[in-house]
Amino acid sequence: MANLYGDTNKYEDGEGAPILEAYHSATKALMRQKFEESRQPWSSFVFGSSYKAVTTKEIAEIDRQVLESGYRFASSAMISALERPEAYMPIPGSEGNPDEFTFEHSDAVVKPPEGKREQRGQGDNVVEYKGNAIGIAKYFRSIQDVADALADGVPPDTIAIIDDSGGTLTAPILEQFKGVICAGGTVRSHLGILTREYGIPCLMNSKVNGIFNGDRVEIEVSAPAKTTEAYQSGREMSARVWKLIA
Amino acid sequence: MPSTKLDYTQILTTNNIMRTAGEETYFLGVTRTVQESKFFPVSAYVMLGYLNAFYRYPALLRKVEKNMPPEEVANRIRNATSKVQSMGINWCMINFYLLGREMLINMGVIGPHDACEDLHYVLNFWRRYQLAWRREDGHVTCKEAGHRSQYLPERRVQVYHADLYACEEGDLLHAAADKFLAALSQYAVLVACESRVCMTNHGPYNLGENRELLVRDFFDLAEGDMPWLDGIATDVPHARLTVTTAVKDTSFYIVDDWGSFESKPDYKTENLCGVGLYTSDELSETQIPVGMGSKEELTDTLERYTQIFKDTTAKLWKRFASYHREQLMDAGALTYFNIIKDFAHVAGCYEADDWNKIDERADRFRPLLNDEYGNQVLGALFVPLSCPSHQVTPYTMMQHSNLPKRTYSPLSAALLKEEDVAPTVGDELHPGVTYLPEKVDRYRTTQGVMGLDELNRRTREFLPVLCSDRLKNLDDTWVKYHYDSKLADELYIAEQQYSRKLKGKGAGLSRDDVEALADKLK
Repeated sequence: MANLYGDTNKYEDGEGAPILEAYHSATKALMRQKFEESRQPWSSFVFGSSYKAVTTKEIAEIDRQVLESGYRFASSAMISALERPEAYMPIPGSEGNPDEFTFEHSDAVVKPPEGKREQRGQGDNVVEYKGNAIGIAKYFRSIQDVADALADGVPPDTIAIIDDSGGTLTAPILEQFKGVICAGGTVRSHLGILTREYGIPCLMNSKVNGIFNGDRVEIEVSAPAKTTEAYQSGREMSARVWKLIA
Repeated sequence: MPSTKLDYTQILTTNNIMRTAGEETYFLGVTRTVQESKFFPVSAYVMLGYLNAFYRYPALLRKVEKNMPPEEVANRIRNATSKVQSMGINWCMINFYLLGREMLINMGVIGPHDACEDLHYVLNFWRRYQLAWRREDGHVTCKEAGHRSQYLPERRVQVYHADLYACEEGDLLHAAADKFLAALSQYAVLVACESRVCMTNHGPYNLGENRELLVRDFFDLAEGDMPWLDGIATDVPHARLTVTTAVKDTSFYIVDDWGSFESKPDYKTENLCGVGLYTSDELSETQIPVGMGSKEELTDTLERYTQIFKDTTAKLWKRFASYHREQLMDAGALTYFNIIKDFAHVAGCYEADDWNKIDERADRFRPLLNDEYGNQVLGALFVPLSCPSHQVTPYTMMQHSNLPKRTYSPLSAALLKEEDVAPTVGDELHPGVTYLPEKVDRYRTTQGVMGLDELNRRTREFLPVLCSDRLKNLDDTWVKYHYDSKLADELYIAEQQYSRKLKGKGAGLSRDDVEALADKLK
């Protein structure tokens, strides 16, 4: 079998993650095979006959073989799993009654009730405000959640709980939130930047447990904003999330 | 017979750019968060955009250079706002190309010496443009400048300084500016499919008295190059906007090659004390004030535009929500890939299919670009540097990490004698693919809405006064020693032509003179 330039590598240390191992090993094997079949020098093959030899069909076959092995991809965008449910792992909580869903982050700090509130997690504060934000929790996890709010309006005093640190999913309704608890990203993520621009209290990288739609919650946005230095040094600098007890 | 015409010096300079770009990529990847989205398959589309850059940038840049060399492009766009003055060039241009190349190396599709002449050409085009654009500043990146992004000539900063309208927390202009910046930033992130490539920040410029000027540029806002804005951004009155912001008691100590900033203390809108609004493009003489006739007019303009951007955000969101995954992939990949498209606009040779299609050579790999592979390969190429091409001798201690790794595969000096290398992917584009609707032939400019043929023709015919042979080489260094000359006055007066405070004042003003003429910022 023909060799590729990178097949001899004094410092090679594997391909990395399993999906990279699977795909890159397969693309290299395909290139070796097609190069050998071409009977051409590499310089004629690589930007010449390889275009007809290594086609979309050949590449799709690599994907098919990975799925045939039983492997299922982790999704990022909701649409990816919705369009190819056979190729992706299910998204936790995407089915069932949304009012019975709660994040259950194992690293959420949960403490017994103190007075009329109990800590149910923590997050990185984006901007320090004079007081905390109090409102009604509501999850926004899908395009449909946002489309419904766009049609019906966002209820007053909504503290949105979001697992997407991007700035596009909630773009048309973001301004209407009283506060945001985001389960991903950092204060420099798009959602963090945009809530700062809008002046909406926000905790990023939040870990929470046992908060359901309709719960009254308080977020400690009077805490100092998490700094770049704290991220770089790994220094703990969390703001708390409480569930308020009626 | 060696395969390449590159000489030893060209190999060395290519390696220098790759090495410094790779180290800054690592730094940005560590200190700036990686973005994610439940809406867009971001990492997957990013990789498709990188692949498209690898296969298409060489031919497209050669096409630009046939019409206008990079040094002249820099001169022509010096007095306007363009994506080729943003993170799009500071970081994206070369790193998109290099990351696409590194991905293909690790897939075994190319060797590190394949396309070596393209590699040198793309990086050298970039270097020539950056040197010319930043000119006497002398840095080719914000990184080189110690994470500052100060490239405006004095004449332009003076106009921005003088024409700022004062505002303070609690007044109508301050509130309008706050809301406008939020709505515009939100819209820009959506137009750019969950990326920051439609906005950038540069500066800071020292206004004195503990105030700094941070200039915020926004691009591709109206119907124009992005097909998904056709029939959606119909009410957006300007394709590009520049918002000048004076901020008190805040030191912007980092403005990086991604156009993002860090300040001490943290930026707070309550410290915004002055604001201005401008538009410009290849057809404008220089920056044109927008709604700047009075403080009340600016307040009203910002409020009206805020509503327009909110309404357009809702319309665009609904359009994107109706797209299937491959359409979202194309929109995102093209947003990334075509970040350098304004080179072609400035050169008057823009063609929609050049910039709005995925080359079939890149599109072959689309079946691999599921979300998980996208996340893993993008991550591996940025920070862990965990692919085979990244590993080097264990004696090495990489900048920032001390690990035996490097971001980009250099060219070996042994390339000079290698015989079985393909030096270029070729000068011809291969056919392109898109799942998006065909681009409508409608482009909003400062001179009205027009078709592409007219836009290219008018761009080729138009020569701003500030770009004339007489004035184009008169930089701040020359002005320093000739500010009292008629020619210097001519230069400054051309820049001041739309200024409410400096019109006709000429070249002799100091910063204190400008401060005395300007509204008092509180």
